Amino acid sequence: MSQRRNRLAAAPLIAVLGLVALAGPAGASGESVGGCMAEHLAEAVEENHGDLEHTLHDEEVQKDLEKCFEAPNPILPETNEIIWGALSFGLLFFFMAKKGFPAVKGAMDARAERIASDLDAAEQAKIDARAVEADYQARLGDAKGEASRLIDEARGAADQLKADLSARAEADIADMRERAAADIESARQQAIADLRAEVAGIALGAAERVVQSSLDAEVQGRLIDAYIDEVAGSNG
Amino acid sequence: MADPRVDAYADALFAVAAAEGNLAAVEDELFQFAQALGSNDDLRAMLADGAVPAARRQQVVEDLLDGRASATTSALVSMVVAAGRAADLPAIIDAMVERSAASRNKAVATVRSAIDLSVDQRSRLEAAIHTSTGKEVEVKVVIDPSVLGGVVTEIGDDIIDGSVRRRLNQLRESFR
Repeated sequence: MSQRRNRLAAAPLIAVLGLVALAGPAGASGESVGGCMAEHLAEAVEENHGDLEHTLHDEEVQKDLEKCFEAPNPILPETNEIIWGALSFGLLFFFMAKKGFPAVKGAMDARAERIASDLDAAEQAKIDARAVEADYQARLGDAKGEASRLIDEARGAADQLKADLSARAEADIADMRERAAADIESARQQAIADLRAEVAGIALGAAERVVQSSLDAEVQGRLIDAYIDEVAGSNG
Repeated sequence: MADPRVDAYADALFAVAAAEGNLAAVEDELFQFAQALGSNDDLRAMLADGAVPAARRQQVVEDLLDGRASATTSALVSMVVAAGRAADLPAIIDAMVERSAASRNKAVATVRSAIDLSVDQRSRLEAAIHTSTGKEVEVKVVIDPSVLGGVVTEIGDDIIDGSVRRRLNQLRESFR
């Protein structure tokens, strides 16, 4: 800001130095050599009442004409130029001081303010971006935590399911084994019963045949006598 | 007796046999015939078959009993069969035998044995039953080979089983 202000202040000074340095040679009146000579010559002719011949030979006139050929000061301008230049500079400086500089200053201030505002906005945006990033990081962390929790839950559920299935399978196997053992035992008992019945049938058939072959008339008679004695021995 | 017709037929048979004067023989023959009929399903079904003419059924009875029983027994059985009561014939004969025994103040003891009992054995058995039950009985022997040996006595609803078959059955039960 201060650098811009220094540049604005140096501008009029540079303009003055340029005006002094670049002032070209000019006559006292600020006219050309021909004009100077014509002006001096006309004044001399008028003073001599129109006698041109006499005028041209007048030494005073010649000195004046020769003065028209003399070069002006290369540094100092003519007084009138200085006056006009000073007036112009003052007028321009006044105008610039009253109108240009406040406008430029206002524009610069506005721009500086806008830039500051932009910087503030950028800073705010940066802060917001950091907040968003922090929020994003937090959300990302939460999401990672949630994902980790879900994975853990899924893993736990899978382990539980695996354990349940394993336990159920073991229970089923144990039940099947128990039923198979019961079936085997039942079949074994049935086979034993069948075998026993068959053996009993065979044995009884053999016994019946033996009894039939041994029951002759004498034995039959003894059996009947024994029966009669048994009935007689029983009372009621 | 539950069935009055069975009772009536039994009375008729008893009366005819008594009138003919050979009650004991007819009673015994009828008893044997009733036992044979009870063990022969085909004969019992044929005699009770209404589709077979009565004359044919009577002829079968006469052929069966000809030479094995008295004319009175044959005529009585033929009469019952012709009347269409062959299915009730065992019950009628049992009732008739009981009535006959009752006329002598005795009950009937049906004795199943693989062989026939001697007269002495019968009398001793009647005495033994009297000693055991206090009842005066008449022994009616049924030859039943399935008894194998020993005796099975039935007095009304009472059964005194001393057969070899029962011993074998008890042995069979013990195996189970």
